[in-house]
This record gives sequence, C-alpha cells and structure tokens, in this order.
Amino acid sequence: MLSAKIIVEELKKQGITHIVGLPDNGSRVLFELLWETAEIEVIQVSREGEAFAIASGIYLGGKNPALLIQNTGFLESGDAFRGTVHNMRIPILLLIGYRGYKTLIPGAPRVDSVATFLEPTLKAWDIPYSILTDDKEAEQISIGVKKAGDTSMPAAVLLAEETT
Amino acid sequence: MLNKYTCLEKLAARRKDEIIITNMGIAKPWENLSDGPFDFASVDSGMGHAADFAHGLAIAQPNRRVITLNGDGSMLMCLGTLVTVAQRPVDNYALVIIENGTYEITGNQFVPGAGKINYETIARGAGIDAVYTVSDDKDFDHKLDILFEGKGPLVFVWKVEKANEPVPNFPILLWERAHRLRKALMESA
Repeated sequence: MLSAKIIVEELKKQGITHIVGLPDNGSRVLFELLWETAEIEVIQVSREGEAFAIASGIYLGGKNPALLIQNTGFLESGDAFRGTVHNMRIPILLLIGYRGYKTLIPGAPRVDSVATFLEPTLKAWDIPYSILTDDKEAEQISIGVKKAGDTSMPAAVLLAEETT
Repeated sequence: MLNKYTCLEKLAARRKDEIIITNMGIAKPWENLSDGPFDFASVDSGMGHAADFAHGLAIAQPNRRVITLNGDGSMLMCLGTLVTVAQRPVDNYALVIIENGTYEITGNQFVPGAGKINYETIARGAGIDAVYTVSDDKDFDHKLDILFEGKGPLVFVWKVEKANEPVPNFPILLWERAHRLRKALMESA
C-alpha cells in the first residue's frame, strides 16, 4: 500500500498547483485526500486524453500541474500525449496507476494485459519512469518532477500499489 | 449559412488581447489575419484536443479571455470536453464549433452525424447554459459582443459553408509556438 498523505506532501513540496486526472480503485483514497487539499486543485476529466491537453494549457498559462491517471487511461491517451505534452515539450509529472503490477510476478494466476503493455509503451514513447512500491521511496515523486524540469519533457512515476 | 472567412475577418477586427486557439481548416486563414504570441494554432497537436487545451489555459489565466475556433470534426473527437468544462466552469472560456459537416483538410469527407447532429443540444445537455447557434450574418454581428464579453463558459455553433483549405503547415514548430505563448503570458502578468 502507498500512503496518500505522503504522496500529497511530496506534491505540495514540489509546488504542484493542479492535479488533472480521473480516479480509479488504486488512486481512490489519493483523490479523496487531494479534494480536501487547499493548495492543490483537482480537475477531473471525462477521459484521460483530456488530462494531457488540459494540463498542457494549465502549464503554458503559468501554473504547475501534474497528471494522475491509471495505466488503462494512459494507453487510451496516445495521440493526446504525443500532440500535447510531448510535442509541446511540457515538463510535467505523470502519476500513473500500475493496474496489474502484481500479475506480472512469475506464477501469478492471471496476467493483466494493461500491465504487460505499460512499460514497453512508456519506453516506446520515450517517457522516463520509476516505479513506486513503498512509502520509503516517495522521493521518487520529487525526482520525477526534477527530471521533467531538467529535460522540459514529461516524466512518470508508476504507482504500483493502491493508495490508503 | 455563414462564410468562415468573413466571420474570421470580423473576429480579427474586434479582437484585442484575447488568446485565440485555432486548428485544422481555421489555422491558416486566421494566421493570415493575425499571428502574434496570443494566436495559437493547435496544429501537429493532439487531434480533437484544442477545446480542452483551451480549458486549461482559461483555468490558469482567469483574467484573459480564451476563444477556441474548433472544427466540428475535432469537436466530435472529444465531446466529453463539454462535460468537463461544465463541471469546472470558467468565466473567460469561449468555444466556437465551426460546423461545416465535413473534414475539410482531408478532402471534405462527411463527419459522422452531419446534417443530424445538434451541437447546441449536446452542449446544453452537457450542462452548459450559454450556447448560441448562429447561421446568418445579422445574428453573427449581434452576438459578437457576447463572444468577447459574455460570462462563460460560452459555446457558439457557427453554421458555415464548406471550403477547401489544405493541410495547414506552420514553419514555427508546435513547441516553439507553445513556449512563445507561455512567455508572452508570463511577461504580460
């Protein structure tokens, strides 16, 4: 499990002003905490592709957004990603829920195909990423923000556990 | 029916420092009228994502009007944007759906629903109250004040004649246009 409180503290430390995304089972508690966090506004989208476009507009308008979506929605967003944060060179943190992470363990009873596609897709789309599995590694969020800033391109942190 | 070139000329004559977002068959005609840092051609960008990109800009820049000139084919690709805008409304957001019923730059193939779809009904159903369908010059002139000064979110549907713009080509790359816009906004703050 990942602590929503610790993740929100990392986001606040990085001056994130807006979280743009769509809740899922893994991020449910994180979204609930974000909705109560005065320093960060949550913009909830109808489909994840919008999150890339809206966040790009927010960034170019002078604020500091990040995305929070599940890997299923990330895959749906291909052209939105390409045509906004990638082609516009937006230095943005992508928090992506890693649905099916545990099904990749050898011997798991079933494999969730979205999990098998996620990392190869991130690599194909040239998105640097890290995998967050434990609260002790929460600084990966700050590292991801810095990486995005240094390259002026998106960087991802994959949330491999449900948030609590 | 409206002529989009006439509409754009009237818009350009009235416009001051609003952000104007264009795409597809509007991008080059608008560039011929205005090409400053607050003119943003959403070309070589995410297809269908001009209206939501503009929503983000309007959220970040609440004191500056953001007007998006969006083709109906592009609007259809991302209809959920209307719901997202309605549930996070911004006063300075104005979306124009330029409805000609075709994908103009690829040879005027019909968009799905051409002749049947009612964007005003869809926008109102999404929760946006200020929606105006305009199909003649007199009504266009009459409603221009609302486009520039009305409290948003606003959606206009311009019923326009078909035209034949080619695929737009911009020498300034998308990321350069994007960061030019950001720089201009930061400097004018």
